[in-house]
Amino acid sequence: MKEEVLRMDRITYREQGVTELNHFCLDIDAGEIVGLIPINDTGMAALIRLLRQNLPLHYGYVYYRGKLVNQWQESDYSFNRIGVIESRSGLADDLTVADNVFVLRQGFKKWMIRRKVLNRQLEPFLLETGVDLQADTCARELSAFPRFITELVKAVVAGCRLIVLMEPASVISDTRLDSLQRILRHYAAEGISFLYVSRHYEEARQICNRAAVMVNGQIAKVVSTADTPPETLQCFGVEAYTQLVRRQERGWHAGGAQTAALELHKLWFDHIHSLDFSVAPGECVVVQDLNNHILNDLTALLSCQKGPESGSIWVGGRPLTPKNRREVAVIQQQPAQTMLFPELSYMDNLCFALDHRLPDIWRRNAARANVRRELEGILGASVFNKAVESLTQQEKYDLVYTRVWLQHPKIALCVQPFMSADVEQRMQIWTLMERLLEKGISIVILAVNLADSLSLGDRLIRVRDGYVQAIYGKDEFASLPPSAPWHDFWSSADKEKESPMDIQRT
Amino acid sequence: MKWNRKYLSHCVMVWVGAQALIVLLLAAGCVLASRQGAWAMLITVAIFLEACLCIVFYFWIFRPYQRTERMIGLFLEGYSLSSLDNSGVSLSPVNERLTQYVKEELNTNRLLKLSKRQAQYRALQNQINPHFLYNTLESIRSEALVAGLNSVADMTEALAVFFRYTISKVENLVTVEEELQNCETYFRIQQYRFGPRLNLRIVCAPEDKEEIYRCRIPKLTLQPILENGIVHGTEFKIGAGKLTVRLERTEKLLTILVSDDGIGMDENALLQLNERLDKSGRAFQEDKEEHVGGVALVNVNNRIHLLFGEEYGLHVFSIPMAGTDVRITLPMITSNRELMRNEVLS
Repeated sequence: MKEEVLRMDRITYREQGVTELNHFCLDIDAGEIVGLIPINDTGMAALIRLLRQNLPLHYGYVYYRGKLVNQWQESDYSFNRIGVIESRSGLADDLTVADNVFVLRQGFKKWMIRRKVLNRQLEPFLLETGVDLQADTCARELSAFPRFITELVKAVVAGCRLIVLMEPASVISDTRLDSLQRILRHYAAEGISFLYVSRHYEEARQICNRAAVMVNGQIAKVVSTADTPPETLQCFGVEAYTQLVRRQERGWHAGGAQTAALELHKLWFDHIHSLDFSVAPGECVVVQDLNNHILNDLTALLSCQKGPESGSIWVGGRPLTPKNRREVAVIQQQPAQTMLFPELSYMDNLCFALDHRLPDIWRRNAARANVRRELEGILGASVFNKAVESLTQQEKYDLVYTRVWLQHPKIALCVQPFMSADVEQRMQIWTLMERLLEKGISIVILAVNLADSLSLGDRLIRVRDGYVQAIYGKDEFASLPPSAPWHDFWSSADKEKESPMDIQRT
Repeated sequence: MKWNRKYLSHCVMVWVGAQALIVLLLAAGCVLASRQGAWAMLITVAIFLEACLCIVFYFWIFRPYQRTERMIGLFLEGYSLSSLDNSGVSLSPVNERLTQYVKEELNTNRLLKLSKRQAQYRALQNQINPHFLYNTLESIRSEALVAGLNSVADMTEALAVFFRYTISKVENLVTVEEELQNCETYFRIQQYRFGPRLNLRIVCAPEDKEEIYRCRIPKLTLQPILENGIVHGTEFKIGAGKLTVRLERTEKLLTILVSDDGIGMDENALLQLNERLDKSGRAFQEDKEEHVGGVALVNVNNRIHLLFGEEYGLHVFSIPMAGTDVRITLPMITSNRELMRNEVLS
């Protein structure tokens, strides 16, 4: 007999007149790891709010641990003991791991905090996870994986029987993801259930028993990861995405004599240890950091915020210095939030990296008018009159990538470009990056998780402990582990290439 | 007129009266205060009394009114028959009588009997005498056996068993085992049409099988859904079709998942179907409304709602070209004692 932990039954939930969840049904049994694959973002935030708190429903019933906790007739705004671990930290930065786990727990009523006792109480939990983590480490010093584990232990100690994991792979590297999966399975065996939110089916099927496909706030289907082929998910835009990639498949070929757009020579800096690779003009290289250590270091070095301890960086055959820093453009992760200045106008946001190409752009209205006229065809005329804050997510992405397109750097560094993006957004980012490549701008995608990077990349460079561990050409993508997103795409592409030979043989 | 807190009109009248009284008291207080200079005292008392009135207004008038309005709104949207009963307060005694009248008109027992009578009528509308039908089928079977046509004899036997269960058995509830047997009989008949193209699999955890098979469910719950799966799902599919009936239980709940791997349906069709299932009240209010497809599902769902309440029922999951799952949730009823407790079931 199964033990029900959560049952959301035919939920229709509205916020300010907007239907967020529509006839939403999801059930999770004790000790089960259920995947949730949101095809778009509609209803995701509302779902998390509704799991945490019993907010008024338009219709439906919520059962937690067999008890009816929320129904459409009556909602008491009470909180459910459900843990939610997001990609950003939910810990108090200035407290230690033990303090975060015990002191911030509901029901902790001690007047005196005895650190030694807390550390001793935490030890068995940390041993259980098998992670090398000190109880008195300050939360600020934790990297993504230990932080994730601390939050997991915190939820377990708080008595949560259901823990929601929001896209762990977007912050945890591949190798650490294996450890996380082992820990999840351990807790699942003890009866704790998990809702594993992931944008990629390939990732969810590694760990989940079942995966629920969510589209526009409703669960379209719950698929068993054991026996359902991934073609099941070829609807709702995923197929359109694949077709887009297939249609635009670029035939990039390394031109041996050309000067490299970017060269790193035996680079040493903090976590970077003798990093050595080069990127050709118009090439898209995916750098996967298997430890999630070098992303910040490499971004700081390439944006000239810091200099290397030893080694050198060459851009277009010249050493990278603050003078030619405009030849490198950095697109931060989630650029719609991090790379726009709401106090500036749309035009100012668009042109402020143009000073090296048009030094007098701010004095010459005619130059700005020309830029505007040229771009109206691409961006649309109406966006230029809008305040940056009122732009849609799609328009914000257009603005950031067009700024880089105008800047025309030799190399564009994209930090986790597909992080937390739904299918439609991923397609847009893909198209925008493709536009940069068409203009001859090389792209370096810095990623912890491959996400959709392989759909665009010409080469994959895997970096472990700060040095290059392996390099894969496009032809070798099919030999990556099956858990890698887009693996099926490259495998099928390989088969298509093989089939004419088979015909010849027969 | 006797004052009663459950009528909003009474509460409003009392509240307005209290407000008027306070205004009079404050006016008198102003006269006294101007003579004795006790303005601070007066203002404090005024604030206190108004605060009390605000609290009374919120809990006696505003919240009950909001709740009543929401319930009526949901009822009009077609969500629920029970919502009328759950508002707790009435606008006025006349309004309460009106609500009572509507409730009686939509009485669960009456609707259930009506629904059952309609089903029986539909079954018999071809003026077929069931006994005459069974006898004729038996005769055909005998003739087929004599002629050595074993497949015709088997098919006729399956058809007779199927009709006997569908038409003659008049109880509301049957065991899961009986219902599954009927599904298998129906499937046997369909297999003569589809051959090996169609497969049926019944999945149930061995440790729960006995309990689940004893569980009572409404008659003809599974077969219409199975039929739907074949007609709308696998029939249009190229190649073999698989149908699965998966039975699971928790302490209080029986879940049956009827899945097909047919052509599925798009997002909008799925949304509309689930909306029709959730708004079961509308199905009774608008019986004249014609819908294309999904009638069997709505019918089964309505019977479950009437028998066990709105917490139970059907929900559909589907993706185009990846099949459809119909999930049925029912209470775990295994004993007659539990049945006796339910007025509708007994």
